[in-house]
Amino acid sequence: MKEEENVLRILKEAKKAINENNPSEIKKLSDQTIHTATISQDSDNIIVAVLVYSLAKIVEREHYREMPGWNKFYSEFLKNWDLAISHLEKKELEEYRDDVGKIRNAMNKISSNLGEYISDVFRKAKINKAFKIYEHGLSEEKTAHLLGISLWDLAGYIGQSTISEAKVNESLPVKKRIKIAEEIFG
Amino acid sequence: MKSLIFDSGPLISLTMNGMLPILEKLKKEFPGDFIITPQVRKEVVNKPMSISKYKFEAIRVQDLIDKGILELSSKCIKDTLLEKETNALMKIINSVFSTRYEKINLVHEGEVSCLAFSKLCRNENAIVIDERTIRMLIESPKNLKDLMERKLHTEIKIDNKKLFNLFGFKFIRSSELIYIAYKKSLIELKKNKENLEAMLYALKFTGTAISSKEIKEIKALA
Repeated sequence: MKEEENVLRILKEAKKAINENNPSEIKKLSDQTIHTATISQDSDNIIVAVLVYSLAKIVEREHYREMPGWNKFYSEFLKNWDLAISHLEKKELEEYRDDVGKIRNAMNKISSNLGEYISDVFRKAKINKAFKIYEHGLSEEKTAHLLGISLWDLAGYIGQSTISEAKVNESLPVKKRIKIAEEIFG
Repeated sequence: MKSLIFDSGPLISLTMNGMLPILEKLKKEFPGDFIITPQVRKEVVNKPMSISKYKFEAIRVQDLIDKGILELSSKCIKDTLLEKETNALMKIINSVFSTRYEKINLVHEGEVSCLAFSKLCRNENAIVIDERTIRMLIESPKNLKDLMERKLHTEIKIDNKKLFNLFGFKFIRSSELIYIAYKKSLIELKKNKENLEAMLYALKFTGTAISSKEIKEIKALA
């Protein structure tokens, strides 16, 4: 795992923000593994980015707490979060990854509508983090592959952003590109 | 005989905007083949076939393949040869940029397979690609370096020797295809610049890396 200390810090600070019911702080934390995720493409860093962002969204939606299945889901989520911190502190990486897997699987155990909502939160979190990595310069396909999402989902998300407005993206003047198109069709 | 080689992005944005019939008309005007590689086919047909949300779109792209509008690259280049060249190019591209400590893997096999086909087919060709990274890397590597340095807050080094292997590719986007279709009056809508602009924005909102300024410029040129 790359930047283990950073991952540990993020997990701990996220836990603190959960206790303070501060979803915006959790969201900020979720972006703090993006640099490492972009450069080293380390799956541990990518998973943490997705989990932390999902957590922020889940905490933000207070009405989830009233839904059947919430208490079981949330207590298991938090229990495994604490275990993940504890195992990472002891540098027990296999156990840590097992805890992270359990956090992700906690949602599969919910049979009510809440399960579907939370699955959707995780799916969208993956797309959001893919977009963040794409913003840092990796190709669309590379990013989709890293996050295990569909290019179709990512393309729509990128399209809704302002990313293509940046002047730096214009790698060839419009006239020259039109000329290429005209010549190939000529 | 010419080739227009399609990456996944343009097929996705044209499909999502119901513009595939324009592609069929463009094919009739084109003195050559519209090519897709097996790697691109996997992204635009095989994978979405198993996702209910995109299955219909995948069927529509497959329909273009069945009709012969899009032709598989194996028509000209054996899949094994294409795969070999794709891997060789991936190795080069994914080591052009590096930080002080490690190389940055920028790209994946789909987009690189388009470059590989372009290199191997030896006829006049262009690659239709909507996403920015490959285009920036080859047409304006310094822009990509600046962007990444700014985003990652770290110095990025470019291996110019490796970059030298990547000259000679030509790129257009789905927006230029629509421009050509407009000029050739292949669009069913009334031929006016407002309609062209609307179509270009539709492509932009489904992932084509084009700025509002570029759309304005294309509109002015039309």
